[in-house]
Amino acid sequence: MFGSLKAGDKGKIIDISHVGHLVQRRLLDLGITEGSEVCVKCVMPFGGPVMIESCGQCVGIRRKEAVQIEVERI
Amino acid sequence: MIASVIIGVAIFGYAAWALVKFINKSKKGKCAACDLKNSCSSQCGIPRK
Amino acid sequence: MEIALIGNPNTGKTSLFNNLTGSYEYVGNWSGVTVEKKVGLFKNNIGQLIDLPGVYTLNPLSRDEGVVTSFFLNETVDRLLNILDASQLERNLHLTLQLLEFEKPALIGLNMIDVANKRGIQIDASKLSQVLGVPVVPVVARSGKGCDKLVDVISTKSIQPAKKHLVYYGKEVEEAISAMTRELSGKTDHSPRFLTIQYFEGNEYVQSYVNGIANSQEINTIVANLELNLQKQAENKSLANFIYLKRKEVILRIVAEVARKSDSIIPLSERIDGIVTNRILGMPIFLLLMYFMFMLTFDWLGTPLSDALNGLLTGPITVGFEKVLEAVSASHFIQDLILEGLVAGVGGVLVFVPQIFILFFFISLLEDSGYMARVALVMDRIMESVGLNGKAFIPMMIGFGCNVPGIMAARTIETPKERLMTILLTPLMSCSARLPVYALFVGAFFAGHKAFVVLSLYVLGIVVALILAKVFSSTLLKSETSLFVIELPPYRLPQFQSLWRSTWDKGKGFVRKAGTFIFAGSVFIWLLSYAGPGGVKVDMDHSYLAAIGNMIAPIFDPIGFGTWQASASLITGFLAKEAIISTMNIIYFVPNDASLQGLLAEYYTPLAAYSFMVFILLYIPCLATTATIYKETGSKKWTAFSMIYAFVIAYVLALIIFQGGKLIGLI
Repeated sequence: MFGSLKAGDKGKIIDISHVGHLVQRRLLDLGITEGSEVCVKCVMPFGGPVMIESCGQCVGIRRKEAVQIEVERI
Repeated sequence: MIASVIIGVAIFGYAAWALVKFINKSKKGKCAACDLKNSCSSQCGIPRK
Repeated sequence: MEIALIGNPNTGKTSLFNNLTGSYEYVGNWSGVTVEKKVGLFKNNIGQLIDLPGVYTLNPLSRDEGVVTSFFLNETVDRLLNILDASQLERNLHLTLQLLEFEKPALIGLNMIDVANKRGIQIDASKLSQVLGVPVVPVVARSGKGCDKLVDVISTKSIQPAKKHLVYYGKEVEEAISAMTRELSGKTDHSPRFLTIQYFEGNEYVQSYVNGIANSQEINTIVANLELNLQKQAENKSLANFIYLKRKEVILRIVAEVARKSDSIIPLSERIDGIVTNRILGMPIFLLLMYFMFMLTFDWLGTPLSDALNGLLTGPITVGFEKVLEAVSASHFIQDLILEGLVAGVGGVLVFVPQIFILFFFISLLEDSGYMARVALVMDRIMESVGLNGKAFIPMMIGFGCNVPGIMAARTIETPKERLMTILLTPLMSCSARLPVYALFVGAFFAGHKAFVVLSLYVLGIVVALILAKVFSSTLLKSETSLFVIELPPYRLPQFQSLWRSTWDKGKGFVRKAGTFIFAGSVFIWLLSYAGPGGVKVDMDHSYLAAIGNMIAPIFDPIGFGTWQASASLITGFLAKEAIISTMNIIYFVPNDASLQGLLAEYYTPLAAYSFMVFILLYIPCLATTATIYKETGSKKWTAFSMIYAFVIAYVLALIIFQGGKLIGLI
């Protein structure tokens, strides 16, 4: 689902292991990992970064990392 | 006349001291806002990580 | 008593620290890293409060984060003060549980209750205290509410170390912990359980500590056995992950017990973000804000104030000085020194205080409100395309105020090559000290288009930086990894008091520099301009200053200002960019401003003036900046590079502009 990102989409993370190790670790620190429910807040144009929100916490990550997160739509 | 001497000494003395202090501080890499002994004040605007 | 203040980043630690300590001191950096060590004296003198860097977990990702674990392993701490963000309880508790495993007396400051409430989250502090086994004091650090209670509780002599084992990690792990505890007993003062769990989680600092005090082989055996035992249960998850998940289970239970969440209220923050980080509107809004900031600083507010100040200086103040000096029959030497040297030199810089402060105010506003993080998000795409990190935009924005803190702000960029590149490029951001030069010249040559011309210079700096970033990242500073994960804290309406303090902290540097270095520099420059090989009170063209300037002047002929005056000014500009204007004011001393600008017209054509400004924009970082680059990079090579490349770029660009302009008849 993160492959076709749109603002307002909500999902539950199924697999985050394909994302780069450093990014994964940082996201984990922020509480975003497998099982987390996230919501896409906005998507920057021209392939720019995305803002995702989880448990009231807003985080920005690059598009190419976001698309590697497997999410199940809810 | 004496006034001139006093003023002169005061100005040159302060100037020399200020110059030396500034160059020392700058060599340590502090912006002029710092007045702390060893390290630069993080109030200079460095965001906390 | 040594009390450690520890918590997640962005939890208001700094505010709390300021509220709990009367005075504080920066004692330098933690050794080997870039993070500063801050130690304060507790308000009622019960001990020292040590501000530890914000971390999410004790298991470090970078050396800066390793400071915290090192601190716990190697230094004495009597009490732990853990600050939590009430609106992010789940995330924060990961650190808390690790801290409680450390088994030292601990106390929790539950901060940002107001933020939590706005989000519809209610926390039962006493329940939390019961569950965790440590005192929990609700506070609102920004306003100071609850801090007195906090101080009271900490001072209570008999805080029992938290003894409860909050997390049961399952049979296999607990057995391994017992085995490790046996192995470690007697060899360390720290809690063996704490060390073991951290070891299992992969905390490298703890691992080397433990291997240093006990038999590594024994330990490796224990770990290997554990991993074997776990394989059946763990579905291929690593030991570290297993531990994390067990902890998470406990945390979820705790949160369910103590927190109540009412129906989702969309926080104001998110609504603002809806506009400000909108796909289409995001960038234009940012540019509009910049334009607005700019106009206020230069056109609408800044310049009128500046002019008024100038009028004051060249009018009543000068006359006042004259009168006093005559009254004490001061010699001509002294009179000239004061009026032509000091008033001209220092005054010439002080008149720009209004513009500087307005600029710093806006930078503080952007920072304190939380908007800066959004800027990083909006700008990341562009930055990425030239090989930079969106996070690099923040140091550059700060660099517009002063390059020194801008360069230090690059510390937030985790990847070394991106960080180095940011450090090298930040000096291209036109700092506030260069402002007075622009203001003087645009006033003289481009009076009708002041803001536009100055804007063009700022933009040029940015464009050059972006182009160079592309060049550097494809050649010298190729980097494989890039890490862009940026936390976007909720927006805050900055309190006026803290805004003022931020602004003043930044701006006082400018004023202080004027009172010290510019003062000294002006005396010195004036002296050099007054005396010459032929004696004292010589015609300026025959002064020492002219002699020095003339030696270098020919270099600048091709770019339009091969005069000794320009050269001398540029030399002083290395020590501090404001000095350029001081020097010029002394050299071109005239009784009032209008003639100064008229005088300049004799030495510069408009084209040469623009070329000069471009040169100053780029030519070399000032001494303080250079030293900061050295401090932050630790490399003489890169420091020298930053000085040389700047000079080359400045020269080349000025050359193109001046010669190119002449060619198309723009004289």
